[in-house]
Amino acid sequence: MKEFPTSALPALLVGLPMLLATMSLFFRVKGRALLGVLGSFLVGSLAFFAFIEVAKYGTIIHILGGWEPPLGILLRIDPLAAVFIGLTAIIGIFISLYSWWYFRARIASIGRFPLFWPLWFFLWAGLNGLFLSNDLFNLYVTIEVITICAVALAVLSGEAKALKAGLRYLLAAIIGSMAYLFGVALIYGSTGTLDLNLLGEVLKPGNTKTFALIVITLGLLIKKAAFPFHFWLPPAHSAALAPVSALLSALVVKGAFYMMLRLWTEVFEVSLTFAAGQLIGITGAAAVLWGSWQALLQTNFKLLVAHSSVAQMGYLLMMFPLLIMAPGQDADSAEWLAPAWTAGIFQVMAHAFAKASLFLSAGIVVMALGHDRIESLRDLVAWMPMTAMAIGIAGVSLIGLPPSGGFLAKWMLLKGVFLSGQWWWAPAILAGSLLTAGYVFMLLRLAFAPARVKDPFRPVPKILQVCALLLALGSFLIVIPAENLIQFLEGSKSFGSGIESIMKGGGYGNE
Amino acid sequence: MKIGTYEIYSLTSAILFAIGLGGVFLAKHFLRKIIATIIMGAGVFLCFVSFAKRDALTFADPIPHALVITGIVVAVTAAAFALSLARRIHKLTGEDTFGNEK
Amino acid sequence: MDILIDSLLAILTIYLAFRCMLAPKLSKAVFVFFAFGLMLALAWIRLGAVDVAIAEAAIASGFMGVLMLDSLRDFSLIFSKNQERLEETASKIPIKKDSYHWTTALALGLGLILFLLISIQAIWEVPQGGGLTAIAEANLPMSGVEHPVTAVLLNYRAYDTWLEIGVILMGLLAIFAAGGLKQYRKPGLAPAQDPLLRKTILIFTPVLFLFGAFLLYFGKMGPGGAFQAAVLWGAIGILLHLGGWTVFTVIPRRMRQILVTIGLGFFMILGFTQMATGGAFFEYPPAYAGFLILVVETLAAISIAAALTAIFAFLTK
Repeated sequence: MKEFPTSALPALLVGLPMLLATMSLFFRVKGRALLGVLGSFLVGSLAFFAFIEVAKYGTIIHILGGWEPPLGILLRIDPLAAVFIGLTAIIGIFISLYSWWYFRARIASIGRFPLFWPLWFFLWAGLNGLFLSNDLFNLYVTIEVITICAVALAVLSGEAKALKAGLRYLLAAIIGSMAYLFGVALIYGSTGTLDLNLLGEVLKPGNTKTFALIVITLGLLIKKAAFPFHFWLPPAHSAALAPVSALLSALVVKGAFYMMLRLWTEVFEVSLTFAAGQLIGITGAAAVLWGSWQALLQTNFKLLVAHSSVAQMGYLLMMFPLLIMAPGQDADSAEWLAPAWTAGIFQVMAHAFAKASLFLSAGIVVMALGHDRIESLRDLVAWMPMTAMAIGIAGVSLIGLPPSGGFLAKWMLLKGVFLSGQWWWAPAILAGSLLTAGYVFMLLRLAFAPARVKDPFRPVPKILQVCALLLALGSFLIVIPAENLIQFLEGSKSFGSGIESIMKGGGYGNE
Repeated sequence: MKIGTYEIYSLTSAILFAIGLGGVFLAKHFLRKIIATIIMGAGVFLCFVSFAKRDALTFADPIPHALVITGIVVAVTAAAFALSLARRIHKLTGEDTFGNEK
Repeated sequence: MDILIDSLLAILTIYLAFRCMLAPKLSKAVFVFFAFGLMLALAWIRLGAVDVAIAEAAIASGFMGVLMLDSLRDFSLIFSKNQERLEETASKIPIKKDSYHWTTALALGLGLILFLLISIQAIWEVPQGGGLTAIAEANLPMSGVEHPVTAVLLNYRAYDTWLEIGVILMGLLAIFAAGGLKQYRKPGLAPAQDPLLRKTILIFTPVLFLFGAFLLYFGKMGPGGAFQAAVLWGAIGILLHLGGWTVFTVIPRRMRQILVTIGLGFFMILGFTQMATGGAFFEYPPAYAGFLILVVETLAAISIAAALTAIFAFLTK
């Protein structure tokens, strides 16, 4: 790892939010909010600076404590990590701005939730730490940081419904991290290292590795609410406060996806079979269909958006079968890898923007009406045109209509699917889009319909609506620098890489 | 095949993990579910430390020991948080299980 | 002989884990949990991991066990008011025959056994990785401490430990968040009426303090260190709290904030200073490494002890 430039940036990206979180404990509510908003710009500009530096110099590393791996821990920011950190920063700034006004507006009725700011900055530190980490055990610590902060944020409102959903979320997350850690223990036992780069070289195929791969993947699938393990997500995401729901859906679940992507492409390469990829793809397709279908049936806005998250996360999993070569195919000549990776990254970004916008809009609706039943969205266009527009734009991106980021993602996924000859994923992708169109148009139809009885609604600060709208627009704007972004990402070692499958998994069945 | 300390404890670790895993899913009461997560954790940590014993030179491998101490603290923090959630739910609703829902 | 002890310990641990899950009464499950923790601590000692044994006994078994015991009171308090539900809990076993259809139970059981068999096979075949003992030992003179585990925790992998100290603070905040942020109940000191309890606490306070300080200081050369010391110091706070001296609730707010954050804060500032002077995050200058590590450990122990006391005080309000 000596060949990469060293810089203090990676350590600062974790340290600064942590420092801000600790400092904010010493302020009263108002000071915390001010510190939070200023701090979000500070961390955001640091992330922007890191992005520029990575564009200039490529991968940057930081050897913590001066101890090189395998003894020490290494932080590494490569283009892929830079994109995730940048995404977190942009969405984080908007959500911080929104929260400032949101909690101020709610002072009279509910409370100011003074714990929001420290927990959010600890969460930010955890997310940055996860994206930067290059060490299996450190990844465990960072996902625990994220889990504890995310659940604590989810139960902030203190309602019984939120608490129950939070406990379920927490237990599911603990099972996930323990399964992950079990895999880490086996890997450490068989290699004596925890560093991802070294592991990629020394980990040999075998029963142990296959089993470690299985438990780690299962653990991460639970954490990212993949199909059979999605049960905790809708209640937890829908019962939280609006800015928190946005954080959870837009950023937190992406952490587990990022880890899975990294581990599969950098560490486990050699023990993956074609069938393993297909299995992950099937859970993804099932999530797309089931989540979209459930979303159609919901009568509450936030639950609808939460179920839609299950579905949209499913698209991310459908990227994995494309990464693994069928027997006889060669990763170097596979022209569908670039589209598949593009699809994955753009799906992450488009979904983050669109879902943050939708949850923030839901918060606005709740603030105005006091509840989030879908039928009360009637005549939304007349009394809150900006929010109606945000919902519409974000919805269009979720469906995947051109020229949104969602369109680019789904189009690239379809392209990858057909180029690789795995056409059987196409129906699920299209059906998912149709179902998504179903619930988005249901929302829009209501928004344009004239109200039978005018619901009394409280005025909502304009700036909240602006935040939601800008985030929705973001899901379209990401398409403009698409080509540059892909070029930038190609500097990452893992981006565009495929996994050569072997005929038999590590060894169950043979030797 | 030689049976020694390492073998015995590494087997124990797998069994504890399975007991914990089963417990989290099957147990009803919140408190028992939380205990089950700790048993799961104990299995994982035992696995780590048994490797340290196996790979010992002049002293046992210190890395797994340190990882396990960190792991125990993190796991206990999460469990204490879960416990506080469970107590709060109990106080608010009188429920001590998730009920019929999964 | 060794094998006999080890197998006995292993079987006992597994049996107790089963009892925790299957004991008909919740209170019994919690007591068995204590015993399970102790067996596990013995197992750690058998494996030569004395640090882990102390951490296990103090944190996982001791602190968590006390929290559970306390919550047991909470969970059963309401039941005793309501006889019907008392019956229900008394017969509460995890695998309730009436709540799981036998096919589901069978499928889950078989799945679990299959998983167990696969995991045993995987563990059995873990190749010799060698571990990092050699490198850790070679770098020990540069680390500033003599005990390898302390070197890993506070020097080689100080970043993990820093995050972990953060996790404890986050856990405290999370528990506040879950509790609806009502501040502590008792505003003043109300020493326990029972003279015996008071005497016991008064005797134990200095003993625990000295023992904690001992563990902290000698963590440099032998088993012990910040976390183990912190739990002992935290135990002082908890004991005082139980005895009615709710110290943590009467000290000023600002002081409380400083107490719980100083460990994380100092560690972080130290890291930033190291970076500002051209080193890496947590890169100690070798000459001062030993001293700096001791300071970090002491402050971390104070913070963790304060956090543990706060958690206990908050939960038992």
